[in-house]
Amino acid sequence: MTHHQVELTVNGSKVSMQVEPRQSLADALRSQLGLTGTHLGCEHGVCGACTIIVDGEPVRGCLMLGVQAEGAEVLTVEGVSPSEGLSPIQEALREHHGLQCGFCTPGMVMALHHLFTITPSPSEDEINEAISGQLCRCTGYQGIVSAAKAVAQKQRENRSHDTTVNGKENSCRSA
Amino acid sequence: MTIGARIPRVEDERFLRGEGRYVADIAMPFMVEAYVLRSPYPHAHIRSIDASEALALDGVEAVITASDLPDDLPPIPCRIPTHGDLGPYLQYPLARDRVRYVGEPIALIIAKSRAVCEDAAELVEIDFDPLPPVVDPEAAIKPDAALVHEAGNLAGRWGFDLGAVDDALKNATYVVSEKFSIQRHTAMPLETRGLIASYDVGRNLLDIHGPTKVVHTNRNVLAAMLGMGEAEIRMVEPDVGGSFGARGEFYPEDYLIPFAAIRLRKPVRWIEDRIEHFAAINHSRESAFEVTACADAEGMITAFDVRLVTDMGAFIRTHGDVVPSHAAASFPGPYRVRNYRIDAMTVMTNKTPTGTYRAPGMFEANFARERALDRLAAKIGIDPAELRRRNLIPADMMPWHVGTESVKRPTIFDSGNFPHVFERALEAYGWDAPIEREADGWLRGRGICALVEPSGLGPFEGVRIEVDQHGYATIFSGSSNQGQGHETVLAQIASSILGLPVEKIRVRHGDTGIITFGGGTYASRTAVLGGNAVHSAAVGIRDKALKTASAKFDIPLEELSLREGEIWHGGKNEPVISLGGIARMLMPGNPEFLKPPSDMNMPDNDGLVVTSYIRGVPGGTSAFAVHMADVLVDPRTGDTRVENYFVACDIGRQLNPLIVEGQLIGGVAQGIGGTFLEELTYSEDGQLTTGTFADYMMPNVYNMPPVGTLVLEETKAPGNVLGVKGVGEIGPSGVPAAIGNAIADALKATSGLNILPLTPERVLAAASTVERP
Amino acid sequence: MKPAPFEYHAPRTVEAALDLLESEGPDARVIAGGQSLVPMLALRLARPEALIDLNRIPELSGIRKEGSTIHIGAMTRQAHALASSLVFEQLPLLHYGLEHVGHPPTRARGTIGGSLSHADPAAETPAVMLAYQARMVLRSKQGERVIPAEEFTFGTFETALEEGEILTEIRVDARPEEGTSLVELSRRRGDFAMASAAARMSLAEDGTCASAHLIIGAVAPVPLRFDAVTDALKGRTITESLVREAVELMDLDQFEFDNVDISLAYRRKIGPVLAERALLQAFNRAEGLRK
Repeated sequence: MTHHQVELTVNGSKVSMQVEPRQSLADALRSQLGLTGTHLGCEHGVCGACTIIVDGEPVRGCLMLGVQAEGAEVLTVEGVSPSEGLSPIQEALREHHGLQCGFCTPGMVMALHHLFTITPSPSEDEINEAISGQLCRCTGYQGIVSAAKAVAQKQRENRSHDTTVNGKENSCRSA
Repeated sequence: MTIGARIPRVEDERFLRGEGRYVADIAMPFMVEAYVLRSPYPHAHIRSIDASEALALDGVEAVITASDLPDDLPPIPCRIPTHGDLGPYLQYPLARDRVRYVGEPIALIIAKSRAVCEDAAELVEIDFDPLPPVVDPEAAIKPDAALVHEAGNLAGRWGFDLGAVDDALKNATYVVSEKFSIQRHTAMPLETRGLIASYDVGRNLLDIHGPTKVVHTNRNVLAAMLGMGEAEIRMVEPDVGGSFGARGEFYPEDYLIPFAAIRLRKPVRWIEDRIEHFAAINHSRESAFEVTACADAEGMITAFDVRLVTDMGAFIRTHGDVVPSHAAASFPGPYRVRNYRIDAMTVMTNKTPTGTYRAPGMFEANFARERALDRLAAKIGIDPAELRRRNLIPADMMPWHVGTESVKRPTIFDSGNFPHVFERALEAYGWDAPIEREADGWLRGRGICALVEPSGLGPFEGVRIEVDQHGYATIFSGSSNQGQGHETVLAQIASSILGLPVEKIRVRHGDTGIITFGGGTYASRTAVLGGNAVHSAAVGIRDKALKTASAKFDIPLEELSLREGEIWHGGKNEPVISLGGIARMLMPGNPEFLKPPSDMNMPDNDGLVVTSYIRGVPGGTSAFAVHMADVLVDPRTGDTRVENYFVACDIGRQLNPLIVEGQLIGGVAQGIGGTFLEELTYSEDGQLTTGTFADYMMPNVYNMPPVGTLVLEETKAPGNVLGVKGVGEIGPSGVPAAIGNAIADALKATSGLNILPLTPERVLAAASTVERP
Repeated sequence: MKPAPFEYHAPRTVEAALDLLESEGPDARVIAGGQSLVPMLALRLARPEALIDLNRIPELSGIRKEGSTIHIGAMTRQAHALASSLVFEQLPLLHYGLEHVGHPPTRARGTIGGSLSHADPAAETPAVMLAYQARMVLRSKQGERVIPAEEFTFGTFETALEEGEILTEIRVDARPEEGTSLVELSRRRGDFAMASAAARMSLAEDGTCASAHLIIGAVAPVPLRFDAVTDALKGRTITESLVREAVELMDLDQFEFDNVDISLAYRRKIGPVLAERALLQAFNRAEGLRK
């Protein structure tokens, strides 16, 4: 079986990975690049723990193959965390107790990161839809939704100002 | 920072940044990966196993079967007392000549990667001779049933017979008899299990990362099975993605992975995949109740007469029969009922073995009792809340001895003012407020469930607190943490005594290398026992620090106090020495210690270190809770929408309201999963048919109603200094009853809705029995 | 849950993909969005020798209008189609259908053509295309053929695709004047339906029903068309009672699926209810367009 050398951009840095075709992108990020923040909860595309952003869109890291990421811009939870402390989304999740065991959390952070990238102050319906494919076994979602609503509210209040919710410049904002 | 402060959790930052360190995030040099080859048959003889082709595959290191294990290897023991001898039903780590459920481990394959393990698994040739599977527990106890074990399918039959049930039934004015069934489902933490074991052959030391929940117990079991000293094995809990009772028990893999690491002399990692998890993790809840409840003319409940059949699966695991035991012991709930009889049967079937899942036995018993009570209220012609109101145990009858026992301990409700909390709950929810009965063709109903949730069970918990010379305190706890927030809550307790900010308090847990004895995390016990152990150790630290300062500086003890990490002289209103300074002074061998003559009066100089072991009180403590729900039902499709959910409870004292609410709301979500969605179904031929997340449906954000909470601190638990009662299991415990009652109320249904999950089809069937204009 | 080994090819043109399909033979499989195929690989339920990835073929993506026909490239992402104003205005039923398909991260990868080629009986896209009487464009080394939607899907996971052939495009007549609706019942939103009803309706000048289509999905190996119901509506003024009478004409014997948790009897109960609701909502939306 042929191994493939894949060149891609991960969290703003050019990287190279050697993958077997059968290896999922999430597996490759974890084992080749040590980016263990992307979690695997089911490996069949339902739980959403492995959600990452590829070329500006949220995707299931377990349903993409590593070899399919050639040339892609990938953003993981490590890439949306500021160098120290927490991004506004992460901080809101903490304030509103939007996590317990933390296993679904990176996927949840990425789903919300994408939501706020495309919709600066989303409605509750939009928040629900954005996380509808992310399973959380601990919280009952209430704290997560409250956190996102609080960020949205802050965005509305700050609309006249130029703010970034995602903590970092969005290196992979879709055109 | 004080006990009861609503503060965000200290552990959150690492999780939010993706810096949590779960077992699959740990790797070691020369590590190999493991895969458990499992039975595809529910019941079969194994004629032969040929692994030669698998072993020939490039990258495969070993294929371990039962014949490779020691001949005298004992089965995995129960860690809890059981009703009668369940020894014949215990499980060995690998099947020898017979498999009894789909998913039973047959071989352990070790290879350079997980993918290669799975390639090799396809090459192992096993010759099976299929046997008839036993799937239905009622059929299993018929005389002609095939046998899961030679000892018989009825593993246990026991019960209680309190008061005079037959007389009560004879004299009753109102009697209802109902059958209930609760479906097999389970905890399903979002992280699957995993272990990484490494063996230092020269020193005979075994390190295992990945265990959780009861690491000391598991370490001791493993030591016995491997013939090693307990201190030669260290189990370390990493960050853990949820347990809810199921994860962290001693499973076959907890023996196999360390065994392989010793044999191969290489670190062996096993990360369970989700498909394995479905077949391998303890299942739970599958039970059937037949309940007869009766009342006198005044609406006083005079007796419960219950038959309980619990499907234990193919083996008895570490929990023994604790699930039906709890259900039977606490079935009468918060009601003053002295005539109670239960006939409980535990039955073996060719399905995955079972164990506990958050609110074990209570979820099931509350559903059966509270649905039956709504039927009884309807028969009497009174409001469901009124029936409950008349029958709650009054405050002056506390402590209430139910008269039953579970795991060889009496069932005692230690304290509580149930009637008062009940009224507060009804008022807060607006139970009596009129509701619109119809909205756009959907029907609206309201339901209630009252319950008692025992907590703080088990013998003890241990904590050691150490303060270092820089003034950092570290709590070494014998408990484990799978997401509950112990690192924050335990730090809060210590902070309130030591006056240190929580940032200067580290909490370590789940590690047999850090404290000699540990109880672990189950039965909502960490706040109750672990919390009180922290309290007691922190008080010890404070007293030792003050006594030391008093002796050293010759200041009367009563004039000293601890404030923000410093010892203050009250009279002069100035700091005397920091806590770190005291710690340095008390370091063994520190020459400062022996200078002035006053040092003769100082405590020992074994460091500013205090260990505390708190013993549990018999029966633990118990919280009272009321669940209420408004539900909309589409009478044409059976579709449902929970509009509002509410939980009120008296938990004695809150340590952190943010975490308490999180436990309640998250628990309700699991209850909603068990009420509407989640089911581990088996085909007639014994195959698990809901073995992926696509068909085992856990709630997503759309399934969740707004959940309101009312957390009261009315009656402190008398058996512990903090006065806390466990909160972790209140959330799921009353959900199916409250919702089932609400749906029945919406439909005015007088039958049905007794079988979980409440699928649209079952709801529609209940709707169809009602005449509608 | 690691797939069995396979080789991987990422052709840049349809021609190259068809060449690979031929050279790799029947043990090769085409991968589109991968949202159904990759789980099957992980479960080793699918074990191709080689994967031919269509994700790098630009000509297969995009939605455009030519005359009165909407051309949808097979590799158009579900999320793209859902967000497309062209789809919302010209093929609103596709928009409503896609709202029920999975979740944002699965729609971001999942494609229209992939869903159609997978032919899951509970999927929404095949029902929508049947309702629209869409044409499927199939290409192979032998050339191109165009077949109607009802001939494309013929069983659970079974389509008219021959060996060496791929679905490249879906052509649908624009229907901006219609009211449409897709109503479904699932146990958890975003999951496959227990039953679904897709309806289209256009109104005449006088407000009576000019044309209507009704498709029921998830109850049989292929989505079912119920012309008897819609025939009873044509030329009539739509009322709730008329629709309720009309859905009684559904031939429920065509329903086939019978599962432990969702019985055939139950599906036969809710099918007409969902049909009624979809038709009424389609009617209301058609009325809305007239005002």
